[in-house]
Amino acid sequence: MHPNYFAVFREFARNSLVREMTFRGNFLLDCVSSLSWVFMQLGLYLVIFEHTDQLGSGTGWGRWPFFVFLATTLFVNSLVQFFFMTNMEELSDLIRTGNLDFALLKPIDTQFLLSLRKFEWSSLANVVFAAILLAVSLGHLEFRPTPLQGVLYVVFILCGVALLYSLMIALGSVSVWLGRNESLYDFWFYITNFSRYPMEIYEGPFGTPLRLAFTFAVPILLVANVPARLLAWPFESQDWRLAGYAFVASLVALVASRKLFYKALAAYRSASS
Amino acid sequence: MTAVVADLASRCAVWWTILRICIEERLVYRGDFALGTLMRFLPIITQTFLWTAVFVGAGGPSTIGGYSRDEFIAYYLLTYVARAFSSMPGLASSIAAQVRSGEIKKYLVQPIDLLTFLFLSRMAHKLVYYAVATAPFALVFYLCRGYFEGWPDAPTLAAFVLSLLMSFLLGFFLEATLGMIGFWFLEVSSLLFVYMLFNFFFSGHMFPLTILSEPWRTIVLYQPLQYLAYFPAAVFLGKVQGPALVEGLIGQAAWTLAFVIAARTAMYYGVRRYSAFGG
Amino acid sequence: MSVVEIEGLKKSYRVYQKNEGLLASVKGLFHRTYKEVEAVKGIDLKVEQGEFVAFLGPNGAGKTTTLKLLSGVIHPSGGTARVMGYVPWKREHAYRRRFALVMGQKNQLWWDLPAQESFRLHQQIYRIDAKDFDRTRDELTELLQVRALLGRPVRELSLGERMKMELIAALLHSPEVLFLDEPTIGLDVVAQHNIQQFLRHYQEVRQITILLTSHYMKDVAALCRRAVIIAQGQIMYDGSLAGIVDRFSGHKVVTLAFADDEAPDLSHFGTVVESHTPKIKLRVDRPKVAEMLATVLRDHVVSDVSVEDPPLEEVIADMFQSAEASLATNKS
Repeated sequence: MHPNYFAVFREFARNSLVREMTFRGNFLLDCVSSLSWVFMQLGLYLVIFEHTDQLGSGTGWGRWPFFVFLATTLFVNSLVQFFFMTNMEELSDLIRTGNLDFALLKPIDTQFLLSLRKFEWSSLANVVFAAILLAVSLGHLEFRPTPLQGVLYVVFILCGVALLYSLMIALGSVSVWLGRNESLYDFWFYITNFSRYPMEIYEGPFGTPLRLAFTFAVPILLVANVPARLLAWPFESQDWRLAGYAFVASLVALVASRKLFYKALAAYRSASS
Repeated sequence: MTAVVADLASRCAVWWTILRICIEERLVYRGDFALGTLMRFLPIITQTFLWTAVFVGAGGPSTIGGYSRDEFIAYYLLTYVARAFSSMPGLASSIAAQVRSGEIKKYLVQPIDLLTFLFLSRMAHKLVYYAVATAPFALVFYLCRGYFEGWPDAPTLAAFVLSLLMSFLLGFFLEATLGMIGFWFLEVSSLLFVYMLFNFFFSGHMFPLTILSEPWRTIVLYQPLQYLAYFPAAVFLGKVQGPALVEGLIGQAAWTLAFVIAARTAMYYGVRRYSAFGG
Repeated sequence: MSVVEIEGLKKSYRVYQKNEGLLASVKGLFHRTYKEVEAVKGIDLKVEQGEFVAFLGPNGAGKTTTLKLLSGVIHPSGGTARVMGYVPWKREHAYRRRFALVMGQKNQLWWDLPAQESFRLHQQIYRIDAKDFDRTRDELTELLQVRALLGRPVRELSLGERMKMELIAALLHSPEVLFLDEPTIGLDVVAQHNIQQFLRHYQEVRQITILLTSHYMKDVAALCRRAVIIAQGQIMYDGSLAGIVDRFSGHKVVTLAFADDEAPDLSHFGTVVESHTPKIKLRVDRPKVAEMLATVLRDHVVSDVSVEDPPLEEVIADMFQSAEASLATNKS
């Protein structure tokens, strides 16, 4: 008999919400602070588009398509933040204090339990802002995306979330091995930083290998690029091979990172105190 | 006279001990250190590509905001140097946290001045950081040497070093002042967050401040945060010269002094308040 | 078939050795030395259904490590163990649904939420039927007298109250095997007593198998008939509590009170522990006790006599010390 995963999921969501609501001031502050970071980013690009009409030449990333891209990045990242971020940050605490023991005792999938225990409800503020930014930017585009584009957009946003989550789980596995992960969190931030730009900007003798590496070795460039292209440009101009690859890559990443995580758990030695 | 020397010697001995212990403490986290230092350079790569794309997109103008594309990249690299001096991660929040938890009593009881202790421990922090970071910094600068037009002349270099040293002092005393606010308000995290945001934007970490359009450009060049990143980098690249350079250095010194006084004053009244109301 | 069967169970860790001093810290940047630490060195043990067994031993003896191995939290470096027929470190759902681990120094309840929210989460994770869940929860809260506290955030509970909630959380799914690691650590006497009473009652009614580690001999004396003493990762003794004294203590404590404010010199019979005229307390080798009493009663007027075993704590502490000393000499 397996646990009712949906019921457990609902219980996690409910508990985190109850918890956030007991510290309402904190919750609001979190909303405001995560939004502020977004405004900073937006500010940078507003300054940049004062000086140029598009990024690169002939890439198609003009102001509004780029803001579609920005909204997409924001969607994927805040969803990852909403579901997984707190849990992955807490993983190092769990390891350090030895409380990971409890997770291992439960008759439920350990990865599920450790990934989804706490939801960060405040990051929904960013999701809302991303939706607004997306709507405004789409309104300024010269064409209307078709409903199919909309559906595929959602599918590939989810693929993006899956890719980032897999990377997170992989890093989490490393921290289980090392017994700590403060700098792994930084690593996560810096590596995902590469995913926040259109892949066309990685050009030249150094850029092309980088683009290929982040497309095929650690496919984080697909995270925002694939869904953003689907929506920001007319349907005919799509590179379907890339989208298909992104789909397969996210499935492979999920499976591979899970294998790695379980390997790490098998090697786990709990803190003795 | 000998008494003064002896006093100074014993003080130095205390300082040296604190510095040494702090360095040891930092070195324990070697894995974090090496990884952290290397990773800090990763954003430079994306910034390089981003600004290259901006220049290409704009049709290849010679400069934006007074900076050519190469100078943009050089600018970013230099802001990393400046921030290696001026950034004080966790300083203000740890002061506030110590006030809140009552741990601050330790400094009121022991014969050591809180600001001095923090300053030394921060110096240790920085020294270790430089020891580990110099090699990666040198490597990155060597790889990116093409973006620089060679070394600036000696006076410019001297001004650059001076502004770096002052940026360390300014950064320290500015954050320390903010931390002291913890004596009056228990919850300073929101305030620190606002500061961090402003710092990020207005220190020139994201772009050379001169690319802003008026009136913003004039406004941001009056505030102290510019000295934490923008100013030293601009000095190195020769963007601030002659009377403007002297003016800038005087401005930086004045702000630094202002925050030394502010931090001391805040600590004086804060500690008085703390002893009066208990913790 | 025994509920717990352990054969040759071993666990060793690799520990980083930090050296003192600035130079050593710098060296530590480039080169680290590790040491192999054997926490459990080959343990054999069988526990039958319905037994309440105490693991005794000094800090770092390997008690907690053994419990963790049996819970499947960590993998052994050698040997086998089966609990209810399952290999713990395979971490099968079926096994995890049938046992529970409670650690006195850690908590698994959501810190900022009322305990009942954590209980509901457990209900879902263990798939406890709603009716069973309500019944078990009510029964346990009643027994532990914490019903009124169910709605209070865990962080506002006292240590004793929190421990009770931890116990409830662990027992909601009616485990057949229970591992308790220092369940009364840090609690005041009253709370300790409450938890002991509860555990005894619960174990008697349910006839579940319990393995307990504790530093409080009171816990052990109140709850367990069988004690397993572990020191330096090895089993030193396995048997009844009373047997510990018989086996490891060669003396009895004799207290005599004399009429007529007499204070005779009895030091040739044994070591005098206390002497407050007219009362004398002394340690006497077992074989000599009868002879000594006969002599004293013949020569003096005695108003009161008691002959006792030395306190369990003392016997065990002595034993640990001698065990450590002998191992230390073996090593060198």
